[in-house]
Amino acid sequence: MKKSSPFPISNTESAIAINNVVKQYDNFKLDHISFQVPRGTIMGFVGENGAGKTTTIKAILDLIAIDEGEIFLLGSNAGNLSKEKKASIGVVLDGSNLHDNLNIKNINLIMKQIYPNWEEGTFFSYIRKFHLPEKKIVKEFSRGMKMKLSIAIALSHQAKLLILDEATSGLDPMVRDEILDIFLEFMQDDEHTILLSSHIISDIEKIADYVTFIHKGNIVFSKNKDDLIYQHGMVRCKKEEVREIDKSYIVGVRENQFAAEVLIQNKDKFQRQYHNFKVERTSIEEIMLFISRGKEGF
Amino acid sequence: MVGLLLKDFINLKRYLKIFGFYALIYGFLAFTQKDASYFTSIFTILFSILTLSSYSYDEMAKWDIYALTMPVTREDIVRSKYSLMLLLSVLGCAFSILFTIVLNKLLGVENGVLELEACFIVVAAIAFFYAIVIPIITKLGVEKARFISFAVYMIPFGIAFIIKQAAEAGKIQIPTRIVELIHLAMQYRRILIPVILVVALWISYQITIQIYRKKEF
Repeated sequence: MKKSSPFPISNTESAIAINNVVKQYDNFKLDHISFQVPRGTIMGFVGENGAGKTTTIKAILDLIAIDEGEIFLLGSNAGNLSKEKKASIGVVLDGSNLHDNLNIKNINLIMKQIYPNWEEGTFFSYIRKFHLPEKKIVKEFSRGMKMKLSIAIALSHQAKLLILDEATSGLDPMVRDEILDIFLEFMQDDEHTILLSSHIISDIEKIADYVTFIHKGNIVFSKNKDDLIYQHGMVRCKKEEVREIDKSYIVGVRENQFAAEVLIQNKDKFQRQYHNFKVERTSIEEIMLFISRGKEGF
Repeated sequence: MVGLLLKDFINLKRYLKIFGFYALIYGFLAFTQKDASYFTSIFTILFSILTLSSYSYDEMAKWDIYALTMPVTREDIVRSKYSLMLLLSVLGCAFSILFTIVLNKLLGVENGVLELEACFIVVAAIAFFYAIVIPIITKLGVEKARFISFAVYMIPFGIAFIIKQAAEAGKIQIPTRIVELIHLAMQYRRILIPVILVVALWISYQITIQIYRKKEF
């Protein structure tokens, strides 16, 4: 069944537009997913392992053929991108995908031939910034170093759009923080856009403007991060008090022997209606957890 | 496409040391036996094997999925592999000829033209082998393709060998028209081999492009 996109902007206005995309596998289906990434924003793409994040990114990058729907990248059909448009997209995949016996200088030489807009100076400045050893080969790099190398490549050809699949996972908090700062630096240009897929919600909470939540191949929500946090709240009460709350407010309930935690939506309206309940601020992680578990039943 | 070829050549440059070692061993053997014919095809074959290695390297690194996110088309990737195969075969041939000429000079032997033709026939055989193998690698991956390609190539040789043995033992009689046809083909080999090769490579390339366009990563 077709689902409408939550964003009222056109396919050409947004950096990425996904409309009713279906991809069927034997044991998994991307089920009519739609969302848009507005230009000049960071979209956090979250979901549990196996939810469909990487499949969606592969569909965006035309690495898999979709069964239904359409995808637009920087205003053009994703399946028919010109080399010029492809050159303005930086991609970091979950893994380095570079040959083990290449070194930094080799990689620079290769990329210089592949990207017409390759900036050697920028590349080496990132290499120095990330403290990557110029003489070592990729095989000798740690996972963090490989990720930094991929990010350095993605940022060295005047990319307008960065598509990052689990670029921060498997890295220690210090390195993650360093990389997130680089992404924020990249966003200083209003024309720049990032789609960042991750299952590390704290990273998304730190830098994203919008959050798209995918669960079992379905888009659960695609919203402005601040609105999400503002519209939801956590009510901690006695188990029997849950019955007093109108079901339309309840997103999910977590109960223990005596007490209950209730994630509510329409926080403002709820607070006007129920003065006896204290509503606490919640997080994207809790919202995601309650929604996904709520869907399966507590 | 230049970037893709450069990537392959950089990845394969480590083999130069190994080939240098081979050159020393074969050079020594040629000297001791006063015969440089060892070199006629050895480098052509060694270089051509590197095409298979380049596929293995790409598969190990999962390079294609990354390359396709760059300003590189699926056609570019296929084209780069055919170009690499031809370039490596010609390079190997050039190396073989060069070494043979040098060794022949040193040994005082003169049979350059014969070796040149032998070298070109080896290049043609290698290119024909890859014309069959590249679509299989593209479809199944280099590991699975290795065995199937071997079988695909060995079966015709095996059949031809059995027929030859049977004919020599007098168990079967090869029709004279076929024998004449083979003789005629041998006579016009300098035209026939290049024509067959170009057609085979063109068909192979078209098949590979079709397979690669549908490939999912």
